[in-house]
Amino acid sequence: MFRLSLKMTLARKGRLILTSLAIILGTSFLSGTYIFSDTLNKTFERLFSDVFRDVDAYVRSSSFVEVDFGGEQRSSTPIEALETVLAVPGVKDAVGDIQGFARIIGKDGTPLGADNGPPTFGGIAASNIVGLWNIEEGRLAVGPTEVVLDKASADNGDFVLGDKVRVNAQSGSREFTLVGIANYGDVSSPGGATFALFDQPTASEFLLKPGLVDAFLIQGDGSLSDEELANAIDKALDPADKLETLTGAEITEETQGQIQTVLNFLTTFLKVFSYIALGIGCFVIYNVFSITAAQRLRENALMRAIGASKRQVATALLVEATIVGVLGSLMGFVAGIGISRGLSALLKAFGAELPTKGLTIQTSAFVTTMIVGVLVTIFSAVFPALRAGRVLPLAALRDTALETIGSNVKRFVIAFIILALGIVAIMAAANDAPLGVLGLGVLFVFTAVLIMGPGISRPVALTLGQPIRKIRGVTGGMARQNAARNPKRTARTAAPVLIGVALVTAFASFASSFKSEIRDTIGSQFKGDFAISVSNNGFGGLPITLVDEIGALPEVAQATGLGFATITLDGKGRFVQVINPKTTAGLIDLEMVSGSQSALSANGILVSDTRAIAKDWSIGTPLDIVLVDGTTKTVTIEGTFVASGFTGSYVINRDLFADTTNTLFDNSIYVTLAPGVSADVARAKIEALSSEKGLGKVESRAEFIDAQSSQIDQFFGIIYGLLFLSIIIAIVGIVITLLLSVFERRREIGLLRAVGMTRGQAWESITWESVITSFIGAVTGIVLGIVMGAVLITVLSTNGISTFRLPVGTTIFILIMAFIVGVIAAVYPAWRATRTDIISAIATN
Amino acid sequence: MTNPSAAVATTVSKIYGSGDSEVRALDDVSVQFEKGKFTAIMGPSGSGKSTLMHCMAGLDALTSGNVSVGGTELAGLSDKALTGLRREQIGFIFQAFNLIPTLDAEENILLPLSLGGQKGDAAWIDQVIDTIGLRDRLDHRPSELSGGQQQRVAVARALASKPAIIFADEPTGNLDSKTGGEVLSFMRRAVTDLGQTIVMVTHDAVAASYADRIVFLKDGKIAGEMTEPTPDRVLDYLKHLGE
Repeated sequence: MFRLSLKMTLARKGRLILTSLAIILGTSFLSGTYIFSDTLNKTFERLFSDVFRDVDAYVRSSSFVEVDFGGEQRSSTPIEALETVLAVPGVKDAVGDIQGFARIIGKDGTPLGADNGPPTFGGIAASNIVGLWNIEEGRLAVGPTEVVLDKASADNGDFVLGDKVRVNAQSGSREFTLVGIANYGDVSSPGGATFALFDQPTASEFLLKPGLVDAFLIQGDGSLSDEELANAIDKALDPADKLETLTGAEITEETQGQIQTVLNFLTTFLKVFSYIALGIGCFVIYNVFSITAAQRLRENALMRAIGASKRQVATALLVEATIVGVLGSLMGFVAGIGISRGLSALLKAFGAELPTKGLTIQTSAFVTTMIVGVLVTIFSAVFPALRAGRVLPLAALRDTALETIGSNVKRFVIAFIILALGIVAIMAAANDAPLGVLGLGVLFVFTAVLIMGPGISRPVALTLGQPIRKIRGVTGGMARQNAARNPKRTARTAAPVLIGVALVTAFASFASSFKSEIRDTIGSQFKGDFAISVSNNGFGGLPITLVDEIGALPEVAQATGLGFATITLDGKGRFVQVINPKTTAGLIDLEMVSGSQSALSANGILVSDTRAIAKDWSIGTPLDIVLVDGTTKTVTIEGTFVASGFTGSYVINRDLFADTTNTLFDNSIYVTLAPGVSADVARAKIEALSSEKGLGKVESRAEFIDAQSSQIDQFFGIIYGLLFLSIIIAIVGIVITLLLSVFERRREIGLLRAVGMTRGQAWESITWESVITSFIGAVTGIVLGIVMGAVLITVLSTNGISTFRLPVGTTIFILIMAFIVGVIAAVYPAWRATRTDIISAIATN
Repeated sequence: MTNPSAAVATTVSKIYGSGDSEVRALDDVSVQFEKGKFTAIMGPSGSGKSTLMHCMAGLDALTSGNVSVGGTELAGLSDKALTGLRREQIGFIFQAFNLIPTLDAEENILLPLSLGGQKGDAAWIDQVIDTIGLRDRLDHRPSELSGGQQQRVAVARALASKPAIIFADEPTGNLDSKTGGEVLSFMRRAVTDLGQTIVMVTHDAVAASYADRIVFLKDGKIAGEMTEPTPDRVLDYLKHLGE
């Protein structure tokens, strides 16, 4: 039996290729993301073991604030303690280390490194072997006017030794002389980050605060083990400094762990989309097996008639599925290698080059792809196989492939039960059930719609085809009927389109609601004429001195800076907004519910009304907070404001940090012009202070609002990009179904050609059928997507978005795309149809 | 009548393969089909009768010779022109699977006209529908019609555009003798009462006896003719032909 199935499988190469194609597409993205993830992880793991290769012990502050996404903000280390460390027996050498924010300004005045790209660092390159940097050219920086750049930045910025280099950091913008070019380990720049390196006193003063560094890197003389060395250092340190000592192995592992957390976030994101693509591929595979099983009705009936058992017929199809699954997954894995290269190239295009060449291809990626690919294929073939086994031997006498459709009543009852469960789950999520419940609810709604599919695809196809019949006459009419004649098949073909479109539409609903929310809040809260902003993913920002320089301009009436800080509040690390209440009035309107924004004292805090209600806080409630440097304070609530995505939940006074070692940046500066001043003149002056030094982008009120809301587009652009693969799989699904249908309707097409249908008309008819199928998916997907978008926004309304906006532009775009997809998918099947040989098609036998 | 021929084949040959495996399906055949007549083509299997019909209907290309239908020479016509000719000048009735399953009876009848973007002659179509007697079944799908009814719809479709000639390939091959007889009577009436021209390929002597004239083919050549046939005469002739 097995040999027979094998032979029968291989005998139908066309079908084999079609089925494999769906599996290849589904598994290739999966293996691509696995290989890419492994490569990323391996690369950074290797990088950090290289970086800390010569570090035997590591001293840092024991005080920190933990923030979301696995990050932490740690306090600084006083440089005086370095003397203590150097005096410990067994220590050969020790240096201070800083990883601060610094942006190198290119010769054309624009900063190196992309906005929203890899971080831009400032640090210390010290004159001993513990340092992480190897001087490639020139020498180390000495004194307050010298800088060393990483080789990649020097190359990108066209800098040679002796050039003047402008660098921005927390304490402002300064010019240095380039005295050296260095490599990081063996690479010219790790992960596309840029580095400006100084001697320790300059780095501390320019990047942090005089007398402070982030940590000490220590090398032993070999007389003690790393553990003994770390213990000896720890004992020697003054407990009042609140320092801790780690071994080289520990800091390596911890850093690798942190980067792993960040990478996992990225790779999980990619994996989610690759599994969505695979799920959609599943539908295509299931569809192909269903159609071929129906078309092989006669063959299977003949097998049954000559004595094959139900089981044998079903097994034959499952054997075929296994063969196809193995072949498809193998090819998918190979294609995945190409995809992971593509992902690396994409990363490079965004300015983050991986510091290694080549890919890490692990057995686990191969095994996962194969197992998932084969299982998915077999799973998709189980139902068609069982159905094939149930065929009556008598069916050998019938001709056309007809799939029976079960009772619609039963179908709708099941669908509505699942739909009801989904709605219950979503409602529960609205009442603070965990986010997983929400996901489950969404999954249920999708399942319900897909079960309903075969029951509604016929009326939907007939309705959508109506205008085409009106316009295109008999060819359009036949396309309409053909799209409706096999409701199950049509529903299965449209399902991948439906899923992809529903996801895109739901995301688009989110995006458009988000955008209008941002426009509204910024529009009502920001009252000034100009905004200066910097986009660097929350790392570093504008020097806090800049706002005063701008405020001092005669053209400027008022300027205020807005920053973020990390503090521990209410038991958790949180980002809080930092304002200067003296200058904020009239520029930034927090929309206070109670209390006054401009009267905020140094030891006061403003909280959003939703937080206050949730926590039962009111004016006068004292809150204990811990700053990054370990300073504990008690702040008092002095007012509440309307919660919005723009201002977050907490606002504090920048004076709170006055006597601490915390670093502080402004993220944006808002400006009102003096009366009667020309906007152009003022803009030129402000730009001279900020953008010409590469400190930030100056935008008018309208430009700023546009730019803020279009950031949403960037993020959703990535999501749409990832869903693009699902669209390709959907196209392939339509192509396969049409090809099989054309093959099945060979006789019909031959007859039509004989009685006078031109090749052009045959092409047109199949194209319209394809367009109708694609539209069934698109229209139901849009409806489902909008409904889900609206529901989710309502459910998540506490998180900053409150009003639902219809994504009109996206909807129109999707409909146009659905039309194009239909036309493209029809090309090959239609071409095959026009090549139908009339005489052999109409021959009786 | 200035031109008494609806279709003319002049020294047509159709050769499949080459060298030793060469098969002469049609070997220098010349024949003409008169307007307003019912002609049957008979012959044993492999005699070339279907090939002759396919070539005359523009479905298959000739190796040599020429065919003209309704005054149009087929040689050198593009696929598009041939399709148009089939739509407007030629009607078809096949043995089975004559109708498009997704269209109802009326849509099937009007199919060639609709494909050409025409409405046709409403009075004529009415007359045709009355002749086949299926007016109450016009909105039925093929799957809701009996085999005989389906073939009658096929006859009506072939007639609808008033073609120069109708080719029928074993139109009653799948029917029992009673329904087959009904369909043949309709075809006969289409010629006698409505003035149409029909060429029918068959191997059934009874079916052939409905025709005005029979052309016999054997081994790709014309083997003889008979006018005003009866089933007995046809059978006799076939016996003679088989020797």
